Amino acid sequence: MSDRMRIALLLAPAMTVIVVLFFGGLAVGVMRSFNWMPVIGLTEPNLDAYRAVLSDPDFLRSFGLTLYISITSTLISAVIAIAAALLLRQSFAGRGAINLLFQLNLTVPHIVGAIGVLYLFSQSGFFARMAFHIGLIARPAEFPALVFDPFAIGIILQYVWKEVPFIGVIVLAQMQALGTDYESVARSLGASRWQAFRHVLLPLILPGVLSASIIVFAFTFGAYEVPLLLGASHPQALPVLAYKTYTDVDLAARPEAMAMAVVIALLSALMIWAYLRATRARLRS
Amino acid sequence: MTRVLLSELTKTYPGTAAPALDRLTLDVPSGELIALLGPSGCGKTTTMKMIAGLLEPTSGDITFDGRSILWEKPENRGVVMVFQNYLLFPYMSVADNVGFGLRMRKVPKDQIAARVTEMLALVKLPDLGRRRPSELSGGQQQRVALARALIVQPKVLLLDEPLSNLDAHLRIEMRDLIRGIQKDLGITTIFVTHDHEEAVVLADRVALILNGQLRQYEVPDAFYRRPADAEVAAFFGGKNVLPGVSAHGTFDGPLGRLTLPDGARPGPGLLTFRPESVRIGPAPVNALKARVSERLYLGSRTRLRLTVGETVVDAVLSPDLVEGIRPGDEITINLPPGSLWIMAGTR
Amino acid sequence: MNGPSRLSRSMLVLSGALLIIWLILPLVPMLIWSFAHGWRFPDLLPQQWSLQAWDYALSDRSGTLESLGVTILIAALATLLSILVGVPAGRALGLYKFRGKGLIELMILAPVIVPGIAVALGLHSVFIQLGLTNTLAGVVLVHLVPTLPYMTLVMAGIFANYDPAHESQARSLGANAVQTFWHVTLPAIMPGIIVGGLFAFLVSWSQYILTLLIGGGRVITLPLLLFSFASAGRNDITGAIGIIYILPGILILLFTARHLSGSNGAVGGFGRI
Repeated sequence: MSDRMRIALLLAPAMTVIVVLFFGGLAVGVMRSFNWMPVIGLTEPNLDAYRAVLSDPDFLRSFGLTLYISITSTLISAVIAIAAALLLRQSFAGRGAINLLFQLNLTVPHIVGAIGVLYLFSQSGFFARMAFHIGLIARPAEFPALVFDPFAIGIILQYVWKEVPFIGVIVLAQMQALGTDYESVARSLGASRWQAFRHVLLPLILPGVLSASIIVFAFTFGAYEVPLLLGASHPQALPVLAYKTYTDVDLAARPEAMAMAVVIALLSALMIWAYLRATRARLRS
Repeated sequence: MTRVLLSELTKTYPGTAAPALDRLTLDVPSGELIALLGPSGCGKTTTMKMIAGLLEPTSGDITFDGRSILWEKPENRGVVMVFQNYLLFPYMSVADNVGFGLRMRKVPKDQIAARVTEMLALVKLPDLGRRRPSELSGGQQQRVALARALIVQPKVLLLDEPLSNLDAHLRIEMRDLIRGIQKDLGITTIFVTHDHEEAVVLADRVALILNGQLRQYEVPDAFYRRPADAEVAAFFGGKNVLPGVSAHGTFDGPLGRLTLPDGARPGPGLLTFRPESVRIGPAPVNALKARVSERLYLGSRTRLRLTVGETVVDAVLSPDLVEGIRPGDEITINLPPGSLWIMAGTR
Repeated sequence: MNGPSRLSRSMLVLSGALLIIWLILPLVPMLIWSFAHGWRFPDLLPQQWSLQAWDYALSDRSGTLESLGVTILIAALATLLSILVGVPAGRALGLYKFRGKGLIELMILAPVIVPGIAVALGLHSVFIQLGLTNTLAGVVLVHLVPTLPYMTLVMAGIFANYDPAHESQARSLGANAVQTFWHVTLPAIMPGIIVGGLFAFLVSWSQYILTLLIGGGRVITLPLLLFSFASAGRNDITGAIGIIYILPGILILLFTARHLSGSNGAVGGFGRI
């Protein structure tokens, strides 16, 4: 058997799954968003769904909110994750515990984190109770709204809680593979501690940080259950809006839901492109 | 020009009983090129990192021109370390790598550019400034690492196994380059290596460290002719080590009575001589009858394994001197008294 | 690097402690709620403790145990299929260089980045035609979309460090193809299968929107059940089910911790994603 044949056979099952389920699902979504589905008699594609969606202020608000949540969560998570990885690189009491907690955290589903954040930060939650006991507030309503709030603080807190360990584990592995010698070189050439981090370590770990951050960004942009549980009722995160539109009693709204799904897919395609650029940069070095 | 003095320098890593480095005292004269030689794990890299400020000593002191530098941060010590695997920053061009130290000191850009050009010329790599480190050969990468270190005009230069990643002919080229630059600039330079040949070809003086302790600190030749003890001799590939007793200028041992040079250490000891110092032919003193048991061609030299009575003697001679000698032949050899050396120890 | 001073040392320990508290904190109220018998504002701890929530959660009425079974079944099937399909693909990607490899890798990677909802809406309308909606089989199939990439990428990492010459050596020593696979290949790639399988299981385990959409409310996995209790404000039962929901993942991790530690394939796998 030739190598080409062997490779084709080895890849066939996986490619079938990916092409049929993933790209198939994507393609059907795109087709329906254009109202084009020859098998059920829709033979004339049009842009009605996109026109409707893009002129709908609700959609635009949802889009803006989701973008804001993703960017904020990703940035905060990446910064804390780098700091945490720098911390975990040192040896000190408690390091093993944090390492274990990081890995345990990876196994905890987002919905559980969201419930945890709800019980901590809601107006009758743990922190509100603490605030009452130290005399900061007299009634739950006086506690600042950190969940169901317009700034999506609860959602962002939950993402940061889950994604710091995710990015941190990747960055830490990268730092451990690099060792400290590069920084030693920089220090002995006259770089201060900060300069050695800024000019040497950071550029070396940046590709890893970027690719992890891109995954986080795309995930938070497409996540459903967390904003559903912790988000305000209006505007809703884009995936929540898309699902609601899709399951609307009015079946005519389905192409609009598909158009929203396509918008989410397009944004993640953009992320894949960015990911590739980040990986290329890593390969070059 | 900086004189480096290590006094009683000790490093014990947490959780280990034996110190990695045990009370090392070493005086490195200004402008000299010194080798710290020893097997891996002997404490030589630990020593270097302590000089560079990357590790804190457990006890002892390091002074530059009489002033302790233990409290100086690494970036203020004027010590630059060149690592064995060069560690060029992969995402920077060669020129940016070389200019790194000056950028950290916020030197103006045009001055940096001029100095970078100068340094690349010094290491004989002009015109490579725009390349990426990954596009360079190992030897070129090492020169860039050297230029990157020299540009900050260090008081002390530390080199980690500077020749060991290079093949034979590049080694000679790099040795000449390092020695040339070091003598020109007069930078006090310390390098570590596990390879005694690397140490002797490059260094003015060699400090041999075994098991965390300094065993001998002398010019390279001394390690071959006057090793401190049997372990030192063995580290330098010494073959002929024979127990016996030295008294009144003679040595009684397995080879009979041999005449020693003046000033040889008296009492029970170990006699040693280099295989290269064995001569063929009769002589007024120290002539021996030997049987050739093995003959090994080494290229430019020939090794003869000889037996004198029950004792094995290794000799390395130039091929034209041993022409016609075959295994089984009986020949006369002699050991010039000046080549004999008595070490402490009884084996 | 001058050796941390006492001050920076205590800063280190302090920030470490903060990190630990912050990592554990969200799980603490859940745990307390599950044992609380009423826990009103502003009490910092419940006035009364009880096992009622656990009683209810473990009874037939709540449907928790049934959900647990369904969730385990779906995750196990999705993991098994991912292994069967992902190991050969990982071998192709790890061992061979071929034209179009970059594209194939990209196609396999895409589902990791593209959110499930973008695919699931389209898939749903196809699955309706195929009668796969509202069935367990349909949910298992759709879970393959996010699990397979993890499995394949971890295996590609494992095979990249694997020397197939061992197989030739075994064959030349008289082993047949099956024996070679069983005695040579499988032991060598087992750590990858364990780690990749663990990922696949956990990825399936935490799926929400794919299950909701394709299962159509008929296939109730634990996260769906958990959500319905959480949004109904039954904090005590939510707490109990939440603990039940996260326990298997934690147990799996603790049992396989040695495969996960440090810089081995697991993290390498993540790094490749």
